[in-house]
Amino acid sequence: MISKLILVIDDEEPIQKVVGLSLKMEADWQIICASSGPEGITLAEASQPDAILLDVMMPEVDGIQTFERLSNNLQTKDIPVILLTAKTGTAEKRLFQKIGVTGVITKPFDPLSLASQIAKLTGWLL
Amino acid sequence: MVFDSGARQLFSWEEVIDEKPLTASSQTLLPHALAKFVAQSDTSCMIALRHGKVAGIVTRQDLLSAIAHKANWARLRLTKVMTHPVITVAKSELSLVAASLLQQFKQHQISHLPVVDDDNTLIGIISYRHLLVIFREQKAEISIKRQHQHAQLFAEITLKIRQSLQLKEILQTTAEEVQKLLDADRVVIYQVLPDGTGKTTSEAVKDPYPAVLGMAFPEEVFPTEYQQLYAKGRVHAIRDVLAPNSGIAECLLEFIKQWGIRAKLIVPIVHPLASDQAAPRADSHQLWGLLIAHQCSGPRQWTDFELEFMQQLAAQISIALSQGQMLEYLEERVNLRTAELTEANRALQQEIQERKQIEIALRQSEEQLRLITNNLPVLIAYVDAQQCYRFNNQAYEYWLGQNPAELYGSPIKAFTQPDHYQNIRPHIETALMGEQVTYESELILKDSRRHSVSVSYIPHLELINQNQAKINGFFALTTDISDRKAIERMKDEFIAVVSHELRTPLTSLHGSLKLIATGRLGNLSEAGQQMLAVADESTDRLVRLVNNVLDLQRIESGEVTMDNCTCNAAELVEQAAEAMQTMAQQHGIEIHTQLKPLFIWADPDYIVQTLTNLIGNAIKFSAPHKTILLSLQPHSATPQLLQGAAAPSDSPASAALFCVKDDGQGVPSDKLDSIFERFHQVDSSDSRKKGGTGLGLAICRKIIEQHGGKIWAESEAGVGSKFYFTVPLSHDQIHD
Repeated sequence: MISKLILVIDDEEPIQKVVGLSLKMEADWQIICASSGPEGITLAEASQPDAILLDVMMPEVDGIQTFERLSNNLQTKDIPVILLTAKTGTAEKRLFQKIGVTGVITKPFDPLSLASQIAKLTGWLL
Repeated sequence: MVFDSGARQLFSWEEVIDEKPLTASSQTLLPHALAKFVAQSDTSCMIALRHGKVAGIVTRQDLLSAIAHKANWARLRLTKVMTHPVITVAKSELSLVAASLLQQFKQHQISHLPVVDDDNTLIGIISYRHLLVIFREQKAEISIKRQHQHAQLFAEITLKIRQSLQLKEILQTTAEEVQKLLDADRVVIYQVLPDGTGKTTSEAVKDPYPAVLGMAFPEEVFPTEYQQLYAKGRVHAIRDVLAPNSGIAECLLEFIKQWGIRAKLIVPIVHPLASDQAAPRADSHQLWGLLIAHQCSGPRQWTDFELEFMQQLAAQISIALSQGQMLEYLEERVNLRTAELTEANRALQQEIQERKQIEIALRQSEEQLRLITNNLPVLIAYVDAQQCYRFNNQAYEYWLGQNPAELYGSPIKAFTQPDHYQNIRPHIETALMGEQVTYESELILKDSRRHSVSVSYIPHLELINQNQAKINGFFALTTDISDRKAIERMKDEFIAVVSHELRTPLTSLHGSLKLIATGRLGNLSEAGQQMLAVADESTDRLVRLVNNVLDLQRIESGEVTMDNCTCNAAELVEQAAEAMQTMAQQHGIEIHTQLKPLFIWADPDYIVQTLTNLIGNAIKFSAPHKTILLSLQPHSATPQLLQGAAAPSDSPASAALFCVKDDGQGVPSDKLDSIFERFHQVDSSDSRKKGGTGLGLAICRKIIEQHGGKIWAESEAGVGSKFYFTVPLSHDQIHD
């Protein structure tokens, strides 16, 4: 198994902890966390994670805006971004697909299969 | 007034006496006398004079007789042929009374009467023939005068009678005038009643004779045979009722004596009209009554004139009766017509009154309507077919600063921004085609702020006949929905926030519980693990509930619009089946499909959501080792078809019929409709047992309705359920 580095951008610390523990337990992946979009972008540029788990609803700069900035950033544009969102509506899902994210995982997620879901969306072998 | 019969008529001296008669000496030879006769051919006699005195008289006949019979006639003198002595009359003794003068000629059987003075000197001669001519001329003249006098008198009385059209007055006038004219003691008008009895209806009577007015007479007094005689025109004049030959019936004598009647003149009054006839008829006559003159002072010889006069007046009464009856008839008709006109007038007045009341009510109603419309917080306008304002309520002034009076008659375009007009123009045209339109827009009002408005155009249709209507214009109602929009936005934001705020801790909670449950973070006692399972299950339910509440809210608010496209319905069923496969396996359920290739016009994501929801329910309510059948077939939307029935071969299919059939516990028939309502479950404990939220079917119904389809269930408790829904076929599919 190849260890992965996942950047979690979520303003909720409990989510960061659950995601971190889930990925650790299931696939022994490492995570780094940011609590806001701008912080996440800086961290992505600096650490070049294998994938980014991005929360949609965040204060000031939300997940969609953050994604756009990541996409427009030469240093981060190739990093797969998976939205982690509580927005589950069909219309919202369409919007997410339209903007070109790698995938969407809805909250609450299954912590025992989160790594599997990410691997499936990114095409990694787990 | 008393008329002269003519017998006492006087001659005038000049007209009777020929003061230049043919004379000759008594010694005149006959040839000379003849010559005188010849010279005066119109003279028929010659007076022979001797010493200026009348010696004899010779007629033309005497002279001619002598010439014829005596041969020596030429030598004869008048004395030989004249008649003498001659009857003469002294002028002083001459009676110029016509009757006595004529009497003298008749008495002496003479044809000529010489008139002499006291010295027996000839003054002139009176010729019987001449006298007779004059007498006749005078008599004729008198007769003419009398006729004229009668006519004048009759005209005067007729005029008096005719001055009234009231029958009673006419009869009374007639009685009075006849009484005066005839100088009779009593004149009565007696009316014969239909039952044979009678009564005096009018009377004029001299003092001291008793009045008989109003007296009723029994039938015996005037028997039927008398009536018949009088009806034929009989006139009865009796000089003296007490005379043996008076012809008065015995039964009447008592009555006559009672009233002191000595002479009577009775003239019938016939009536050309039967009393029960509605209109006069000329061919019908009946005895109406009698005009009777009484003389009580003594016997009286009724003259022809009196008789004739009475008859004429009776005829006048008859005419008056006819006229009276005609008048009555006309009056009756007039009264009837008047009554009809009065009734019509009354009805008209009532109608006018009612119309006035309606008008007042309408005016009040209009005033109330105006008051209401002016105070409603809505822009109300009426726009005609030429897109011109015909009414604007006061709100136009309050909201937009546009005076309704100024707006009247102006085109909408003139008071609308060009780009805004281009936006609303299609809606206006739709309304003017007779279709109601409602749309939302924005308006900048007098406060310079942008307001959200909902606008409805309601066409004003006027029915021309049963099948045709004319569009006169439309009513435009504009409601400010800014507040509602703001609330909706707040609600959406609130739900979004709540959703996020609920989900975020739920996600942490859910994840943490799952991780604990792995046991890799430390072992729990059995009771601890049980509690952990309860907590895990509850968080799952809570997550589903939050998801469903959000879904339903989005669909109901119209926030979600179906992104319809032509899609393969069978593929969608397969997709949903695959998505639910894991859950089915967990419950030991098999999913089978029976699908026909159909293309529908739908939003595939929402159809899959509906299917997964129904399949999820079927799994939850099925016992292990049961099967769920998903079927798809064409369906006709014809209302006559039973729900769930496939389209018959002769009826074109217009929809796809989806069916999710299970062999589960089923739904009682009385709950088949209510299960589609929110938070409604067959058994309230289901949500706890099966982890349902009570919103799944409500969401399904909303989705299908937004597709223009229908959803329903058929079930038998304990046997299983069939959940159906229809979705319109795509245009291409229908045509195929």
